[in-house]
Amino acid sequence: MNAGIEARHGHLHYMTVTDAAHAIAAKELSPVELMQAHLARIEKLDPRLNAFIRLDGEAALAVAKVAEAEATAGRLRGPLHGIPVGIKDIIDVAGLPTTCHSKVLEGNMATADAVCVSKLRAAGAIVVGKLSTHEFAIGGPSFDLPWPPARNPWNPDHHPGGSSSGSGSGVAAGLFPMALGTDTGGSVRNPASCCGIVGLKPTYGLVSRRGVFPLSFTLDHIGPMTRTVADNALMLEAIAGHDPLDPGSAAVPTGRYRAALGRGAKGLRIGFVRHFHEVDMPAEPEVTAALEHVMRALQMLGADVRDIKLPSLVEFAAVNRVILQSEAWAIHGEWLRTRPGDYGKLARRRLMPGAFLGAGDYVTANKRRAEMIAAVNAALGEVDVLLCASSMDPACRIDRPAEVERTYPRQARTPFNVTGHPALAMMAGLSSGGLPLSVQFVARNFDEAMLFRVARAWEHASGMDKKHPTIG
Amino acid sequence: MDKELMKAMAHRAGLDKALAEFPDDVAAAAAQAASVMAKIRTPSDPRAEPWPAMRAGDGL
Repeated sequence: MNAGIEARHGHLHYMTVTDAAHAIAAKELSPVELMQAHLARIEKLDPRLNAFIRLDGEAALAVAKVAEAEATAGRLRGPLHGIPVGIKDIIDVAGLPTTCHSKVLEGNMATADAVCVSKLRAAGAIVVGKLSTHEFAIGGPSFDLPWPPARNPWNPDHHPGGSSSGSGSGVAAGLFPMALGTDTGGSVRNPASCCGIVGLKPTYGLVSRRGVFPLSFTLDHIGPMTRTVADNALMLEAIAGHDPLDPGSAAVPTGRYRAALGRGAKGLRIGFVRHFHEVDMPAEPEVTAALEHVMRALQMLGADVRDIKLPSLVEFAAVNRVILQSEAWAIHGEWLRTRPGDYGKLARRRLMPGAFLGAGDYVTANKRRAEMIAAVNAALGEVDVLLCASSMDPACRIDRPAEVERTYPRQARTPFNVTGHPALAMMAGLSSGGLPLSVQFVARNFDEAMLFRVARAWEHASGMDKKHPTIG
Repeated sequence: MDKELMKAMAHRAGLDKALAEFPDDVAAAAAQAASVMAKIRTPSDPRAEPWPAMRAGDGL
């Protein structure tokens, strides 16, 4: 069975979610074979990539055997039947620890699945294990934690972005075809950008946050990370939906995110937010060139592209930081008072500023946030989708802390945590050093289908979904 | 931020242990907080509501 599938789709570990799900449903591929291929890949590469904090391989294989029996009997649990998935380790998986990559929560056993995990299981997905993150989803690539930081499969000397670092690294390297990440200041889209995959921050409230360790109640989002746009839409269909026990959850219709995938870019009105990367935070020339290339490709496909102006990226980042650090202090204050040495240096520095911000600062940031939401809504009244930078630089070496500190904030993802609009980052090309460059698309609230439409148009025109790191 | 003010604020926040064990990290955190508000424009209308507004009921 394996050889025929590989002849048509390439290596099993690089098979898309969509193709694997179809092959399993057609009884051409066994969930056990698929899982074994990924476990072999993990055994081979994870010692170099550190994507996992906790691999749960035996349990995953046992579930795959059940899935195989069910598929053989023609009983599919859902559209992700038998597909391996990795889970960022700030998201609860029943029976496994949720450590948040921190000594503070070492051994913190989850007693129930987060809602997003239980939805994935209901759709048939199989949890492979818990994945590396920046400490509490805010630190950075750190070497002073109980587990090493994940590395970039395009070049393991470089960081993979974060904070959903293991998710990005593992999806790009073929350790699993899909993963869950979380995004408070860009943490799904940063590793997607650095690792050359597709990462979506859905509209605020579309995916339940229940069972996910919070960083900032106002800004936290859970999002799918995959190698293709279609897979991302398929995964979103599984995890989206109203949760009456999540106070931020939105009661909106969900579930048709793949409907517009093949409609192309013809007739779309696209707003190009040039000032983000040309004025506010000047990008590396290779990044600028890649963004121009994406813009021209979409024009060639029939899109109408015009420049759009939003508030300054520097101010968006400041509003994000004040809200995030105020709320994070309310979560971490007691631990920082009593056991500051149990945090790594980067997380300690990034979680303590909230102690020095005032209530008035927090309210002022939220008042500006209201104006920023209005500004993005107004822009999206003129166009269907925004195109802008994600990262201003390709990923730097992981062992250069000063360079990590300089480049990490050079990004245009925080605006859409502040406003809640859906935003997708994906590969725009490769740098001269062989590292992924990225582009970001932004749409109206709850119009993820539009995001997937334009992202698929670019993916189809560029063949970005066919590019994989040469590791292994 | 003035060093004495920083220490007073850290003490008020209960960060004495962190201040004793990781003084550079506390100072860096205070410096971050001090600089960030300068980057945010004062909202144009003082009567404007922050987001999200309070809503009566269960809000769900």
